[in-house]
Amino acid sequence: MAPKSPNSRARASKLGALARRPEAGTFLGMLVVYVFFATLGGAVFLGAPGWSSFLNMAAEVGIIALPVGLLMIAGELDISVGAVLPASSLTVAIISGHYDLPTHYGIFGGLFVGLLVGFVNGFLVTRTTIPSLIITIGTMFGVMGLTLGLTVLIAGSTGVFMTPDPMARTLLGQFIGGMFQVTIFWWAGFIAVVYYVLHISPWGNWIFALGGDRESARNAGIPTQRVTVALYMSSGFAAAFVGVAQVLTFQSAQVAAGQAFIFNSIMCAVIGGVLLTGGAGSVIGIVLGTLTFAIVNQGIFFSGLDPNYGSVIIGALLLAAVLSNDGFRTLAMRYAAKKT
Amino acid sequence: MHLIAPLLRRPAAAAVLSLFGILIFYVVFGGVNLGTLAGAASWLNFAANLGIVAIPVGLLMISGEIDISIGAMIPAGSMTTAIISGYYELPIFFGMLGAIGVGVIVGTINGLLAIRTTVPSLIITLGTLVAMQGIILSASKLLTGEASVAITAPDWSKFIFGQLIGGSHQVIIVWWVAIAAIFWFVAHQSRYGNWIFAMGGDRESARNAGIPVDRMTIILFILTATSASFVGMCQAILFNSAQVSGGMNIIFNVIVSVVVGGVILTGGFGSVIGIVIGTLTFAIVSQGIYFTQIDRNWSNLIIGAMLLIAVLMNDTFRKLATIGSLSKK
Repeated sequence: MAPKSPNSRARASKLGALARRPEAGTFLGMLVVYVFFATLGGAVFLGAPGWSSFLNMAAEVGIIALPVGLLMIAGELDISVGAVLPASSLTVAIISGHYDLPTHYGIFGGLFVGLLVGFVNGFLVTRTTIPSLIITIGTMFGVMGLTLGLTVLIAGSTGVFMTPDPMARTLLGQFIGGMFQVTIFWWAGFIAVVYYVLHISPWGNWIFALGGDRESARNAGIPTQRVTVALYMSSGFAAAFVGVAQVLTFQSAQVAAGQAFIFNSIMCAVIGGVLLTGGAGSVIGIVLGTLTFAIVNQGIFFSGLDPNYGSVIIGALLLAAVLSNDGFRTLAMRYAAKKT
Repeated sequence: MHLIAPLLRRPAAAAVLSLFGILIFYVVFGGVNLGTLAGAASWLNFAANLGIVAIPVGLLMISGEIDISIGAMIPAGSMTTAIISGYYELPIFFGMLGAIGVGVIVGTINGLLAIRTTVPSLIITLGTLVAMQGIILSASKLLTGEASVAITAPDWSKFIFGQLIGGSHQVIIVWWVAIAAIFWFVAHQSRYGNWIFAMGGDRESARNAGIPVDRMTIILFILTATSASFVGMCQAILFNSAQVSGGMNIIFNVIVSVVVGGVILTGGFGSVIGIVIGTLTFAIVSQGIYFTQIDRNWSNLIIGAMLLIAVLMNDTFRKLATIGSLSKK
């Protein structure tokens, strides 16, 4: 047997490194899920209707899942996104629909609500020793109550209509080709920004360090409090952005919307290889996880299967992703330990 | 001060203060009649249904884990009972056995995954939550063709699990009191209670001290899932039907009750009495608001504010307690 040439060995180790990356598993899972639903759904799912339905959903969940994923990498959670989304769309609808002010006032108002809730979350998380799960459950209830109470007080009902400016509608609420929501392109923009922040700028290292060991991160001179507050403000902003896009698309806002986004955004991040305990994860992983989630969620309607099987598949995917990540991480740790 | 300080250091202190705070708030700003409120069944029924799940979830949190799959287990329990004894018309005994069995199975899966992997239990139970929601719905559609199933329970089972005492108070309140008493004994009088607190304090040390950490974790997960399916079973027997309705709210309601009751999410601190008072407080906020002049739309705001205030109080009291115990040395 001839010894392997160094070239092929290098290639093999590169392949090995690729397979060891947590995204590899997510990518495989996405391919399996896509092929599965493509076989069942046929041409309709493979064509524009299929792509638009899961991309539309992926864009909305994905915009929120990105900062939620960053928070999880930093070792924190944000439950309040589920309340911020309807709060911001109602703010837009009340300012620009009920009071008939120009649409951009409403948009600024809606986004401001998101930033404000995010700031409160970040402030409370950094100033107290209470786990962020509890704090954001508290702010979720608070924001839900405020939204419901104020909407009924101001508008007299739990749903508010509005007619957006054509300009704002083109930018945020348009259907391209009659099917693809313009939020898909915004999602792409969010991905680029978050990719830069996490993997290129120094902020990314700070976020990973925060999730790995908060105390050491602080001792290393990382402004942990500022990073945490900024992360919460970005998750609040993202949820508010989706709320704004929804109200401009559907021209009405409902009080009871957005609860599903709480666990959906967490699931997308987890399927994409983010650890809840912090310190690991990637933007590509979160995007792939979101796509997988959306393909299952929407593909089920094209497959002719009972839609309820969708959540069985998602539950199984989640557990499979988590368990394989667990395996990957143990492998990676062992490998790293061997090297030293 | 010497009289008050030890009381404040108890885990239930913030819960008691929250309860009084809410009552005073409702009396002063809501004009509520305390006599009417005390006689009303709505909040007590609500508290009992919540409380039976909250106690084992609280103990699980004291041991340092969390279980959110309970949100799917209440409909799972009621659907199992209704499908077995309603749709297939088997004796109600088998329906009950089925409901409890489903709880034991899901609890075992949760527990096994929690001890065999390093994945946080929040994520594990999120997976089983979503999977169980799908399984219940598809099983119901597959077996009965509908999303709601009727059941006619025999009188003896209605008497024990689904009676309305005095026409308004559900018999599940009695079950809640009994379950609270048993869990109080287990958590605060038996060695198992010490084990649970030790696990939440430091899992590794607990294992080194010879505590069967893995077995206790699985048992606690079985208890949370089974108590939720038990509540579902009682609801099916009481209302003569089971629906696959969403149980997402119950997840947050249970966590809020437990945390207001003085349990710390990171484990090692809390009490059964605190959890019971926390549940009562939550029930009075969310159901008692109907007896006030305050618009009920604000109840969520009150719950959010109460949660944050109660948790901050707990935080402060716990620091007091640690300082107290340190200075004693």
